[in-house]
Amino acid sequence: MDKMDGHYEEKFEFPFWALIKQRADEKDISYSDAAAEVCPEYCKTIRYRDTEWTDEQIANREAEGVAEVQDSNRKIEAGARKE
Amino acid sequence: MGLDAFAKNIIETDLLVIGGGTAGCPMAAKAAEQGIRVLMVEKSNTERSGNIAHGIDSYGVFPHGISIKELLPMWSQRMTKRNQGAGRNVDENIDYVIFDKEWWAVEELERMGVPMKWDDGDYYWTPHMIQGKGLKLGLRVHWHDVKPKMARMCAERGVKTLNRVMIIDILTHNGRVAGATAFNTRTGEFILIKAKAIAMATGMYCRLFDPETPLIWKYKMRYHYNPATCSGDGWAAAYRAGAGLAHMDDASWALRIRDDITNSYGNFVNNDGILAKQYYWNGEMASPYHANTYVGNREAESKGLIPIYQSLEHMPDDFQKRLEVNFLDERMVSLKLAAERGFNPRTHRYEMMTYKPLQMMMVQGILVDEHFESRNLKGLFAVGDCAAGVGGAYGACTSGLIVGADIEKYISEAGEPALDEEQIYKSKETAYAPLSVKDGTEPMELECAVRFICERYIGAFKSEGKLLEGVRRFESLKQEFLPQLMATNPHYQMRAMEVRNIMQLAELHLHGCLNRKETRGNYVRIDYPEVDNSRIDRLTVNRMENGEPIVEKFLVPELKPEYAEALK
Repeated sequence: MDKMDGHYEEKFEFPFWALIKQRADEKDISYSDAAAEVCPEYCKTIRYRDTEWTDEQIANREAEGVAEVQDSNRKIEAGARKE
Repeated sequence: MGLDAFAKNIIETDLLVIGGGTAGCPMAAKAAEQGIRVLMVEKSNTERSGNIAHGIDSYGVFPHGISIKELLPMWSQRMTKRNQGAGRNVDENIDYVIFDKEWWAVEELERMGVPMKWDDGDYYWTPHMIQGKGLKLGLRVHWHDVKPKMARMCAERGVKTLNRVMIIDILTHNGRVAGATAFNTRTGEFILIKAKAIAMATGMYCRLFDPETPLIWKYKMRYHYNPATCSGDGWAAAYRAGAGLAHMDDASWALRIRDDITNSYGNFVNNDGILAKQYYWNGEMASPYHANTYVGNREAESKGLIPIYQSLEHMPDDFQKRLEVNFLDERMVSLKLAAERGFNPRTHRYEMMTYKPLQMMMVQGILVDEHFESRNLKGLFAVGDCAAGVGGAYGACTSGLIVGADIEKYISEAGEPALDEEQIYKSKETAYAPLSVKDGTEPMELECAVRFICERYIGAFKSEGKLLEGVRRFESLKQEFLPQLMATNPHYQMRAMEVRNIMQLAELHLHGCLNRKETRGNYVRIDYPEVDNSRIDRLTVNRMENGEPIVEKFLVPELKPEYAEALK
């Protein structure tokens, strides 16, 4: 229930968006151009190329039963009306 | 009488590309590289139009570490299970050709100025745990500004582009295309185009159901499933000219997510291996059965367990950051909208709104062969979502590039097109009629009425009584209000033309559902709960012959021997 109380925060900003805005202001360029500059830098702070770590995280989701949700849905889709 | 009597602006070209989106731009650029004259007309503006106008973060279901031989049956099974339309895929020959050329297309795009690799010089494959347990199925791309890049790609190669020009009708002569009628949606100027070949790239038909976002109308059609331009103009014009449309009885379902600050549901989970958890309103974990299915949602509703929420709170910081990059690549404005509303996905949950039909699907569209030429109308090609059996950014780019590369041969063999004055007269008269109507029907008024019929009388759970009532109401709209469409300026003239196209296709959908008496996968007829075996492996095709609408059913093509041989 707590999750739904105060559904919105008074002020929230994605850290990435803050960087894009900052770059756009500094260089007086569009958000789109600023994003093109900032994106590669931001991606370097993310472990995109660390496949071992990523696979481990995905395995964790599986262990939490989230994967089962997805797989079950496909089975249900095929035979929903018969059940 | 002479063509000058109809239009001051008469353009002659070799290839007319209709639609400057994900498929149209690569096709036009590639064709222009062959040295032929290419005219591309776009109802909006090629720099920011089409299904990927807001950006895109994933390039389809690209196979990695898998042969076409393995992929083909896997894909066919996936299409059959998901779409359920034909009992199998539309045409494995199309799948084969696309899979065979996908790498070539990726390299061509990179060469032509569309970035496929990341800043570090490598491709990035999306981790995907669902379809194949570790199989890498998609390229993550940074395409937030891909449309300006594609427009530049066309301009650099000498493609003549007409923005803000809408096609009215395709003109034919002796069973092949000869050109098209069009008008400028800003000035109202009537334009006549003579073309040896026409390539239709107007995307999916999206505007017959209410859009996914619950926001006000201003925002409703700026989103994945319902971009404002996708009113089925290409399908409808092709149909009127004699091309076949496949599987008009189907419609795809999808989840809606409230707040309009997120990418569509699939992108979280598909594009970085991120899987979300789902909860009932009371905080309990939602059961798999209830969370993602329409049937399940109805059961949950009867137990008072909805809304259902999707949560990303459990994701590690790295994945939260990936999500931000997804937002940028696919829909940068989400980052801003979230900030303005104070919605933090690290601490808050997305409401998953019910499954509902939203648009047509991949198995639907203009019926083409594996060279993407209409099976019914010579010289008409269709690519991307516009063609039946082609879908996604990968399908759009690959099919577009294939046609662009091969069209020269067709053009060199096509004779000079001859235009039929009677066709031109009728087309112009229909398109300009709304300008002389006073106190008539607003285009959006009529479109909303059509949407209401599709939502209320077709919807997800169909039955004969509802569908018949829908037909009655639709006929009333058609007879009373369609002739009264009014337009006060060329922009509204465009809207009026869109409604004409929307209604033509909605009618095919309505009657298609009425005639399809079975339940299969997502297609549910409550009064016919069993599969109709006579439809298995069969295509259903609507087309016009001598001005009369006809419906055909025939067998899905087998894989051709030359392709089968190549797989050995």
